Amino acid sequence: MHNVVTKSKDVTLLEVLDRVLEKGVVISGDAVISVADVDLIYLGLKVLLSSVETMEKLRGAPITGPMQEPT
Amino acid sequence: MIANGIVETDSAEEFIEEIEKSQDVLPKKINANPQTVEKGLAKLVLTLIELIRKLLEKQAMRRVEAGSLSDEQIENMGETLMKLESKMEELKQIFGLKDEELNLNLGPLGDLM
Amino acid sequence: MKLYLYGIIDSSDQIKESIYGLEGVGVYNISFRDIGAVVSEISQPIQGVTEGAVLEHETVVEKLMANFTILPVRFQTIIDGRDNLLSMMQSYYKDFKDNLARLYNKLEFGIKVIWPADKVKENIIKALNEGEQRVLESDGSASKRFIKEKFEKYKIDKEFETKADKFIKVMDIFFSKFAAEKKLEKLKTRDLLLDAVYLVEKDKENDFREAFEHIKSADPNLKYLFSGPWPPYNFVVLLRKTGLLRDTEQADLFDKVTRCQTLVGADSI
Repeated sequence: MHNVVTKSKDVTLLEVLDRVLEKGVVISGDAVISVADVDLIYLGLKVLLSSVETMEKLRGAPITGPMQEPT
Repeated sequence: MIANGIVETDSAEEFIEEIEKSQDVLPKKINANPQTVEKGLAKLVLTLIELIRKLLEKQAMRRVEAGSLSDEQIENMGETLMKLESKMEELKQIFGLKDEELNLNLGPLGDLM
Repeated sequence: MKLYLYGIIDSSDQIKESIYGLEGVGVYNISFRDIGAVVSEISQPIQGVTEGAVLEHETVVEKLMANFTILPVRFQTIIDGRDNLLSMMQSYYKDFKDNLARLYNKLEFGIKVIWPADKVKENIIKALNEGEQRVLESDGSASKRFIKEKFEKYKIDKEFETKADKFIKVMDIFFSKFAAEKKLEKLKTRDLLLDAVYLVEKDKENDFREAFEHIKSADPNLKYLFSGPWPPYNFVVLLRKTGLLRDTEQADLFDKVTRCQTLVGADSI
């Protein structure tokens, strides 16, 4: 997937992250194996992304250029 | 759809900055790990004291605004509030806590302070 | 079999479109009475929160939104087996039904506004200095000086909040006309004047967008961000905690939740 990494993609990602990590239906119960544990340590949306590559791309990527698939 | 970008703005960088600022950078829950439980309790107690202190200050300001205080009352209030403030600073230093740490997240009700 | 859950839809039918989710696996609908849970089978635990997985998740929810009412589920909700999922659906059935009915045919839009907080503060200080002075005797006593300083700061902060309220009220009047529900957060940071989400009926979308364009052009000092349409992430209200509440208690809690929403500013600007 080729995407141009621009600042407005960053802000879109932040908006998406806020919704899928913080909002929406939360199911509680024994049958739930795992839910993204975002309450316990909330270091900021960009730091949460575990892919360091992605982080670096988002911070200092050039305005044009292909984005690689996160590994 | 995400692929086409459902976020429209002329000021993407400014919004990125503000959105990130508005995210907490410190743990919302108090760590119940035995090694840190002392600091966790200190944080809780100081948070509550800080809340009361701030409420007292605000109440004092409202009374100053209303003009319902005598000179002497203003003097006494000032002295009390000053002492409270410097005591809090002392306690914060003793426990190595910063202003931003003395807050509680109440979930849907937002932050305490 | 681990089931990754994307959302709850108002249909018990199979999904006609081919939609692929995490691990490139096809999603399908597990029906329960007249609603369904859209899932895909997942083989390994998700390693943290990655951009790719999050976008895959969101893409699935948005594709479903085109054809169904969907209650979007939080990222990385994984249920242990079909039986457990069905039992979960039973526990939450009423809650899900209520939400699906309320959110039918509606879209969520987000509006964020940045204002020049420093400039606003400067203008306030200027105005306060020019205006009527509150004379506090500055006779040098440390206590009195303390109060004086605190009071000046108090006045400035108060005026700052009042100005924020005024700005937001004007904007909200426009947007609310076309919104069924809303949630407003004032001054999330000093510069982020407003962080709002509005629930808008599909046939009012254009009116709502027009209202936004109108507001945008009204004040060039402010910066605006418009996002959407989103699935209704911010408008799902779940009351059921498995086994913890009886029905009467749930009704009381709903009242309290509604009142809390009012208190934190959702309706009171």
